[in-house]
Amino acid sequence: MKVPVSWLREYVDLDATPEELADKLTFSGIEVEGIHTIGSDYAGVVVGEVRQIEQHPGADRLRLCRVFNGDEELQVVCGADNFEVGDKAPFAGIGVTLANGFKLKKAKIRGEVSFGMLCAEDELGISDDHEGIMVLPRDTESGTPLSDVLGPPDTVLELEITWNRPDCLSVIGIAREFAALYGTELKLPEVTVAESGANVEDLVSVTIDDPEGCPRYTARALSDITIAPSPLWMQRRLAMSGVRPINNIVDVTNYVMLECGHPLHAFDHSLLEEGKIVVRRARDGEKMVTLDGVDRPVTPDMLMIADAEKPVAVAGVMGGAGSEIRDDTATVLLESASFDPRGIHRTSLALSLSTESSHRFERYVNVETVDWAGNRAAQLMQDVAGASVAAGMVDVYPRPYEPRRIELNMARMHKLLGVHVGVEKAVEVLESLMIPVVEQGTESITVEAPGFRPDLEREADLVEEIARMYGLAHVPDVVPAARIVPLASDEPTRALFTCRDNLIAMGLLEIMSYSFVPESLLDAFCDSDKTSRVVLPNPVSADHAVMRNSLVPQMVECLGRNHSRQIIDATLFEIGKVFWQDEKGVVDEEDRVCIGVMGKAGRGALEKRTAVKDDEVFLWAKGIVEGLAEAQCIGPLTFTPVDHPYCESGESVSILLGDKVLGFLGLLRKELRHRHRMAEPVAIAELSMTPLLESVFSTRSFHPVPQYPAISRDVAIIVDENVMHQDILRVIQGAAPVELTGVDLFDIFTSGGMRQGKKSLAYSLTYRSFERTLTDEDANGYHETIKDALKSELGVEIREG
Amino acid sequence: MNVAEIEAIKAEALASVAAAETAEDIEAVRIKYIGRKGLLPQIMKGLKDVAPEERGAVGKGANALKNALGSALDEKLAALKGGAGDAPAAAFDTTLPGRWRPRGTMHPISLVIEETVRIFSRLGFTVAEGPDVETGYRNFEALNTPDYHPSLDHQDTFWLESGELLRTQTSPVQIRVMEQQPPPVRIVTPGRCYRRDTTDATHSANFHQIEGLYVDTDVSLADLKGTLAYFAHEMMGPDVKVRFRPHFFPFTEPSVECDFSCHVCGGDGCRVCKQSGWIEIAGAGMVDPRVFERVGYDATAVMGYAFGMGIERIAMIKYGIPDIRMLYDNDVRFLTQFR
Repeated sequence: MKVPVSWLREYVDLDATPEELADKLTFSGIEVEGIHTIGSDYAGVVVGEVRQIEQHPGADRLRLCRVFNGDEELQVVCGADNFEVGDKAPFAGIGVTLANGFKLKKAKIRGEVSFGMLCAEDELGISDDHEGIMVLPRDTESGTPLSDVLGPPDTVLELEITWNRPDCLSVIGIAREFAALYGTELKLPEVTVAESGANVEDLVSVTIDDPEGCPRYTARALSDITIAPSPLWMQRRLAMSGVRPINNIVDVTNYVMLECGHPLHAFDHSLLEEGKIVVRRARDGEKMVTLDGVDRPVTPDMLMIADAEKPVAVAGVMGGAGSEIRDDTATVLLESASFDPRGIHRTSLALSLSTESSHRFERYVNVETVDWAGNRAAQLMQDVAGASVAAGMVDVYPRPYEPRRIELNMARMHKLLGVHVGVEKAVEVLESLMIPVVEQGTESITVEAPGFRPDLEREADLVEEIARMYGLAHVPDVVPAARIVPLASDEPTRALFTCRDNLIAMGLLEIMSYSFVPESLLDAFCDSDKTSRVVLPNPVSADHAVMRNSLVPQMVECLGRNHSRQIIDATLFEIGKVFWQDEKGVVDEEDRVCIGVMGKAGRGALEKRTAVKDDEVFLWAKGIVEGLAEAQCIGPLTFTPVDHPYCESGESVSILLGDKVLGFLGLLRKELRHRHRMAEPVAIAELSMTPLLESVFSTRSFHPVPQYPAISRDVAIIVDENVMHQDILRVIQGAAPVELTGVDLFDIFTSGGMRQGKKSLAYSLTYRSFERTLTDEDANGYHETIKDALKSELGVEIREG
Repeated sequence: MNVAEIEAIKAEALASVAAAETAEDIEAVRIKYIGRKGLLPQIMKGLKDVAPEERGAVGKGANALKNALGSALDEKLAALKGGAGDAPAAAFDTTLPGRWRPRGTMHPISLVIEETVRIFSRLGFTVAEGPDVETGYRNFEALNTPDYHPSLDHQDTFWLESGELLRTQTSPVQIRVMEQQPPPVRIVTPGRCYRRDTTDATHSANFHQIEGLYVDTDVSLADLKGTLAYFAHEMMGPDVKVRFRPHFFPFTEPSVECDFSCHVCGGDGCRVCKQSGWIEIAGAGMVDPRVFERVGYDATAVMGYAFGMGIERIAMIKYGIPDIRMLYDNDVRFLTQFR
């Protein structure tokens, strides 16, 4: 909200500078987001009268004007066309420097001499409006310095009003805060309405069909109105507050709204059927055209202001075009009312229509001062539009305000704030805010919440009032005492931190991606999981339309993005949530870790020039997964071939712990790789986090360290290429005595002297006893048994020598 | 023998150490003074002849001489060995780059989360976590946000077809914990949150928050201020101060916004703090009694404070990251800056 300081000063004496005022407000709970100076000294700028307008002979868009500056008539070339002969406007002659720094010189524009210019608001430092020149009221005298017309520069405070303080959505509300902060008096304007002619009841009737939706409705009738622009001072205040001036009647309703926070509405009385106002719900099928010219279907849960026949306004939101103030309006029905905040909010939301009025009503408007606002507006309409006000006010008030009593316990407040505030101080603070204290004891006080403070409901609300006015700077910062909370454990989090650290220790870089992905990305990876995806009904954009159901697609995107930036080797991981829904639409989520390996990430610096092989990249990723499992104290993992939609057939495996599938590991399908322009193989793995975190803090236990030396024997075997390492291990372990304590693969040989379709594998086997020192004969015996088993079960050929 | 004579011997001995040019010279000095038949053993032997009142001082002086000379000799010898002649010839190229896989890096968001959790755990806070998909009840109603509150609007919240929503704050975790556990409660809740913001340099439709909650029989606004002040200097630097401004949140009363003094300029005003000397970091306050009533706590018997902070915001301020989108772009050249 924007509040001109000069307007505030009408209700409260303020000596402080705008900066001091801003600080004071900010530290009592109303944040000042900006301090804007409006206007300037306007040195040399005077009121000019436009006496003649002709088309510029050399330019379609320019006009030649004769402007009288009080002394003489001058030719001025002007590009704006929002004025006519007889209009007054700020005129800057030759030699004048404008607020925006522009210095006027005699100039020839397209062959025509211009002796100055008619000014727009931005050139005068009044606003950033450059839509046309600033047109002044016709009764301003030509040659008057503009500073005499507009007064000295003003300051506007731009405020953030929190949702709980609807009373501060008005100049008087802010003035009330200042009066409390500076200990001075709030001076409300004197409201006197000179009534004449008919009785209001003869002209207007009001019925409230929905007292829940409308606890109070008042109406006044005004006649003999002449519609015209409102006076300059009113226009200036509206403009500075961010409201566009329209005409004297509409401007008064807006002015009073800004002044006291009550939205008002003026109907053209002659356009209301039977002069009747009925506050009722919309009927099925009803429609109305609102002031903005939009034809809106209205529904029975919306509150309407209707005349005898039809809706004439969406209550509290916007008036109807059919009864709006026109240039020839002579009689007005002035509405001042209060509506249920929830209803207004729902309606505003349903119509996607938010107005200054709905903004206030959905936060609550003081039901007690509805009549005051109506009278204030009638008074101003009398002043600025020559209105005659009919005697009396129709005031239908089915739900009178009942003030709440709230008790404040001093000891409890002391405990809550950690600072002692005495009864006297508390009473002083509350009364300065115009919150009446009705009972005052030594240990507690009782107040009555005034109608303008709907936010005051309980003790905590009063504590807040005292804290903010007393000053939070007085609250000490106490070094906190860390009392133990029994049974509190954050093992899951520490396990997660450990997991992240283990991956980083293995050289991986952590990434983080959005939880949303474009549908097309998921489709490219797998288009058979569409029904289980969680699609956002109201996404921000198509790029963020679906919740991710795997971390892999974004990992691949990320590798691709880096690849396009010449980073061709990378090992990345992400820990994050994935989402899916079952066939009943129940949404579930899971934490996962994803690993991505691109390029020659597993090679040393001196080995990067030879091309990387598929199995090499796969095994690096496998090594990371195994290493992670070991570091997280789970395992051993097993890997079984599986088809995965992200991977080429035969190039992916399931990762198992016992018989539980943790995830998968494989080489990314070439087509997906090429989609992201990556030339070399990419390995990916994705695992559920939960199993990885379960054993991190499991109890460690001691096993005796071997006492006796080990003997190792090597065996090199030639097998068919399709025999897997795992098959060989199984045979070795099946035949091994308890003394076999280690099997290490140390060489693989496929090319060169090998026969077609064969490969050579070399293993080092370690034998050790926990009871005695083994002899060579022992070891040889075990070794022969194993060799025999390999020969008989796998048909391998043992390479000797 | 007296103290002055010992001092003279010490000066002479140290001078000859300084003058020594070879290891042999040094050995000669050593033998002359502290060798078995050197000067010092003689002095020690002669101590019995010294007047009793001087004996202590002379003995002390002699010992000091022995120590000073011993270390001077060792140092000189080391210097001669190291400095004399060229470095030993390298057996291989020791200037080649080392070969060991370097450590990876933590994402800046994780860095801030982990650091924040560590700081609060020193104050006895433990971590609690909850799902990203939440009920409207836990995200709004239980937190005293009425159903006609502006933040409920569809334009701010991602509602799902299931009727649930993507949490707009991590506060629902506070509700989950209080629903399950009697007071006292002292938790921090890091996690991902979602709001329908259009992405720009400072907004992101998903972001991270960490919230804190402390509920007990005797908890005050002053405790909250102390807790956040502790966090401020642990996280941003020892000279960082905090200040409170009154504010409004539906789930706390009184509510405050907490500013940290700028860690870059120390409060004088700079680009980082937009010349104000202060940076808005946290929203906080005393838990609204209605929140306690919702979770079945006795609102007259317990009190507590809660606070919440944006992780991305802290990361951006702490590391000087100018655009929130960089955090989700994951450029390796960016990531490796946070080793």
